[in-house]
Amino acid sequence: MPTAGLKTIIALSFVLAVGFLLVILSCALWKVYYPLLVVASYVLAPLPNWICSRCSNPDDFVESSGNAILDLGRFCTGFLVIMGIALPVVLAHSHLIDVGAMVMCIIGGLLIYGTIVSFGMFFQEEQEF
Amino acid sequence: MEDDRLFKFRKPQWLNSAWVRNSGVYGAGALFSLAFYVLLDAAVWSKSRLNGSDVHVTFVDWLPLIFSSLGMLIINSVEKARLSTDSFSYSGNGVAWKARVVLFLGFAALAGGMAGGVTVFVLKFVVPGVGWPMMGMGVENVVANGLVGLSSVVLWISQNMEDEYSYNLAL
Repeated sequence: MPTAGLKTIIALSFVLAVGFLLVILSCALWKVYYPLLVVASYVLAPLPNWICSRCSNPDDFVESSGNAILDLGRFCTGFLVIMGIALPVVLAHSHLIDVGAMVMCIIGGLLIYGTIVSFGMFFQEEQEF
Repeated sequence: MEDDRLFKFRKPQWLNSAWVRNSGVYGAGALFSLAFYVLLDAAVWSKSRLNGSDVHVTFVDWLPLIFSSLGMLIINSVEKARLSTDSFSYSGNGVAWKARVVLFLGFAALAGGMAGGVTVFVLKFVVPGVGWPMMGMGVENVVANGLVGLSSVVLWISQNMEDEYSYNLAL
């Protein structure tokens, strides 16, 4: 893992800005502001994992209750990530938003979530060592 | 450990890694989310302008999903280590019996949810002869309950992997 230098931060913030641009454009072009919910779901997605990793003690192999709460966090994260993709599809199926808005919104949401995940990966790695 | 296995084919080695286990749990969450949004899609479509008929998704359509989810919650809350009495029963005989009863209730709720989904589909959509775009709401109901069942299977399998994994580490 290369050190997270200035270039990484610039690239990540650029991708994040492009993601937000796509989501906001998908709302503003058709003047229907439902797709903003996708941003909320992707921002909330790493949260259960984060909270549950604080609650558990992964070094404890005798008592498996620590692993159960980690699994709960992973389950909730998986739920929220698919929610970010499924919500625009549901809205587009009922013609509440346009299909173009759906595509832009999904791509933008994935870019935002990818930025959050890779940011967490880079900077957690640096803290460990 | 290798000698007292039951089946001819052994489990592949890659199944025991922590990475596969974690992605199994993520996948179970994803499948459950997919099930919920498939049924939510039916409900939203039912209220939208596209639905010209007077067939609507009501609370009755949600009941099978509620039962399936309840069954999934019960099944995956049971501690799996308490199920096997014949190996190292420090927990006693009574706990395994209780675990089996609770597990039976969970599987009954899961299977009841699936059967309820098919029942709603048949009684509300097939028998009155609803046309196709409206029929999709009933199909989505069956699909949602099937996905909940699939999700609990994935979660069960990846939780059973945990024992092997921690055993290997303890050695």
